[in-house]
Amino acid sequence: MFKFQKEQEIVNIAGVKIGGQPGELPTVLAGTIFYDKHEIVKDAARGLFDRTAAERLINLQETSAEETGNPHIIHIFGTTPESITRYIDFVTEVSEAPFLIDSPEGNVRSRAAEYVSEVGLADKAIYNSINMSINASEIEALALSDIDSSIILGFNATDSSLQGRMKLLENGAGLMENGLLSIADRCGIVNKLIDPSITPMGNGAGVALRMTITAKAKWGHPTGSGIHNAPSAWNWLNQKKEKDPVLYKICDIGSTCLQQAAAGDFILYGPIDYAPYVFPMAAMSDIMISEAVADLDIESASRHPVNLLV
Amino acid sequence: MKTVAEGWPIVKGDYTVGDPRSRIAVITLASQINPSPEAALWGSSKTENLGVEKIIVNVISNCNIRYVLICGIESRGHLAGHSLIAIHENGIDEKGRIIGSEGAIPFIENVSKAAVKRFQQQIVILDRIGLTDPEKITEIVRRYKGRGEVYPDQPLVAISQKKKQPTFTDSLSGDIIISEEFIMDAAAGVVCPTKDF
Repeated sequence: MFKFQKEQEIVNIAGVKIGGQPGELPTVLAGTIFYDKHEIVKDAARGLFDRTAAERLINLQETSAEETGNPHIIHIFGTTPESITRYIDFVTEVSEAPFLIDSPEGNVRSRAAEYVSEVGLADKAIYNSINMSINASEIEALALSDIDSSIILGFNATDSSLQGRMKLLENGAGLMENGLLSIADRCGIVNKLIDPSITPMGNGAGVALRMTITAKAKWGHPTGSGIHNAPSAWNWLNQKKEKDPVLYKICDIGSTCLQQAAAGDFILYGPIDYAPYVFPMAAMSDIMISEAVADLDIESASRHPVNLLV
Repeated sequence: MKTVAEGWPIVKGDYTVGDPRSRIAVITLASQINPSPEAALWGSSKTENLGVEKIIVNVISNCNIRYVLICGIESRGHLAGHSLIAIHENGIDEKGRIIGSEGAIPFIENVSKAAVKRFQQQIVILDRIGLTDPEKITEIVRRYKGRGEVYPDQPLVAISQKKKQPTFTDSLSGDIIISEEFIMDAAAGVVCPTKDF
């Protein structure tokens, strides 16, 4: 393991600290709820779901976080303005944790940004994400909102190399007038969380690992990813899944460790249902990393797994 | 004349191979629908960039395929089906953007303009976005599986080797401390003794 020369920023979002040198803070873990085909969702367009089951899942993540010391974020996925606002209401009713607002559609993300500002929840919200699809109306909606935390996604659809992804953040890579980091500034984003973007394996998934290190070395912002998307989009593994679902889970959950070993500060680990497995896995990596950097003048936080579990 | 490239399908994906001599391939977008062995290729496609690329590469490397049926439920935000129709109708601009696509990030990285042109010439798109009834889809497959002639050219293998080329030329500068003796240049991915810096 290693230490960055560049000072590493630590952001504080609703009490959850993210960032720092490897081994300094425990990895922050975000499980997704209300995702596509999540069985607790009854009507994805209207945002109707099994409230008891949803609360149980959130409690499951909270309990896991409490036990290992890895802070948690609730990753809310919605596909319509109606559903995402309903999900936000519910999640903030049952948990104090910060939450990610995520949708494949810009107008849904914009509405969510507006909504959390109206109801005074913007300080807990993390926008997911500022990416190369952002247009003028989404920039305006985000700038007008009170949100000051966002994931900034390094997905460059025309150049998936490390350089292509870095340039997209830095100067727009010739595809956008400005880099995504400066767009984030324009939107009032203070807490910038860099996500190098996980493309499928075969299309540069591994580049994200080196970009994690490179982005932290260059900018010092907290960096992490949804690395489980690499195994979950792996057709070979998906074919094996029918015969052996455990094999699939091992790869999906185990990918967490790869991102941590590459200095990741946060991980969007996928289905929140996996919390009881992901948190111990991440805690194990955190302990190993903490021990690896112990003589590099890096002190682990008091609620780091190394100080709680060993 | 050879009609199917060696090793076809060229790129891997979430699809099932049926009869490579069939004239039709089926894209089920975000829906999972049981495949028909009478189609050349059958599978889902959820993205407006990598998904579209894969379809183009696998279709133009098999001259037997003359029709692409787009069916199933469109993927929200990504608009993979709409983007496939747009690239077929309008092609890509200088930056690789699919002209006329309203998908979130409709850019192409690994497929050239020539390959897109070949896709436009070889293929007729059958737009049935929203259709999920397997019987109706199979009906269409049967109607088109033997229709028309083989495309009168060699199969085209169009896949960029870009990712295998070195992508940086910057000089080294240590920015990660590994130990007293060694330092790492993050962008170059090289670990060196500190004395080299």
